[in-house]
Amino acid sequence: MEFKDYYKILGVDPEASNKEVKTAYRKLARKYHPDVSEHKDAGNKFKEVAEAYEVLKNTETRAEYDEVRQYGAQGQSFQPPPGWQSGNAEGSYSTANEDFSEFFSSLFRNANQQPDFDDVAGHRGGFQDWGGARTQRGQDIESDLPVFLEDTLKESTHPISFQIGDRKKTLKVKVPAGTGNGERIRLKGQGSPGPGGTASGDLYLRVRLVPHPLFDVEGHNLIVVLPLAPWEAVLGAKVEVPTLSGNLRLTIPANSQNGQRLRIKSKGLPNKRGERGDLYAVINVVVPAAADADTKALWKALGDESKFDPRAEWRNSK
Amino acid sequence: MNDSHAENMSLTELCEITVVSEDTIIEIVEHGIVDPQGREPESWLFDIHMLMTTQKAVRLYRDLEIDWSGIAFALSLLDELEQLREEKRCLAMRLSRFENNAS
Repeated sequence: MEFKDYYKILGVDPEASNKEVKTAYRKLARKYHPDVSEHKDAGNKFKEVAEAYEVLKNTETRAEYDEVRQYGAQGQSFQPPPGWQSGNAEGSYSTANEDFSEFFSSLFRNANQQPDFDDVAGHRGGFQDWGGARTQRGQDIESDLPVFLEDTLKESTHPISFQIGDRKKTLKVKVPAGTGNGERIRLKGQGSPGPGGTASGDLYLRVRLVPHPLFDVEGHNLIVVLPLAPWEAVLGAKVEVPTLSGNLRLTIPANSQNGQRLRIKSKGLPNKRGERGDLYAVINVVVPAAADADTKALWKALGDESKFDPRAEWRNSK
Repeated sequence: MNDSHAENMSLTELCEITVVSEDTIIEIVEHGIVDPQGREPESWLFDIHMLMTTQKAVRLYRDLEIDWSGIAFALSLLDELEQLREEKRCLAMRLSRFENNAS
């Protein structure tokens, strides 16, 4: 088993005061807390930091650790000293310790107190009622559920599989029509099994709408970029526009501008009540990549004839 | 297979799931961190989003040693940050559609 240098993890000197240990923990906890951090390995980093603090914040466990550290810090691989038994320093083991390393368990496995939230937060005694409703249950599991935009039009079923310990679990998840990005689905009792036969945790799925090759999502509205030839924008046209459920024919009014939005009613995403947002086609005038001699002559004739000044605004603002 | 109906829970159920006391939940509600339906604690109903927010608040309280008003403030900033990140992602995606057309 790997030896954990808790001082190094917290970035403090082995002689550091309790206050310095606490400050180092607070800084790192804010940096790596999985609810706050964007760091890709935030969960594991935070667990490491929390484990180090759990041991070093308490004088008695810190003394026990220091004793072991003398013995084991030299080698990469660590075994507790022969006959080692934790002194079972009082009240120092938190809810989080079920997640702590093998190293932690090997040193403090004799401590079998109930989880203690107050202690973790350093609020012992200052928050008496914290654990009044405390019961043990398995850990909740959180995961993302990718959903295609097309799947939100009606109720859809998604097979998912995930790992609990060394066991692979497969489930089918129903996603109601109109489910939006970031919405959560709770599957009761599908998390990790509870310790000693207590209730299992829950599985939480966070719906992630998969980016679409054509459509962007804005609330319940969809946006599609509609490329037009310059003459289509000027003269108007009828063009085929894609929607989530097939193409439809859209009339482009004459003198349409680049960036202009044309609304196609009720072709967006549905909400839970079955009402649908709109689809907006945003005009993007594109110019042919290369023109042959005849086409060039036509453009030139247009240029010679036209009085249009595309930079009139610049001149007016001088 | 999950039930597709929206799932609301009472104060007692929320306490069981989050493994915290009623008084703690009441404090979280009083700080405006979650806003359940119903006027009195006995009739409060929490949806899944409120459950997730409560769990996040409890984790931050426990791990970062911040008081409840600090948690309320941090959560509203985190929400805003998440919205802005999402908006930035969407705008970058939309911009790339125009830039791809131009290249």
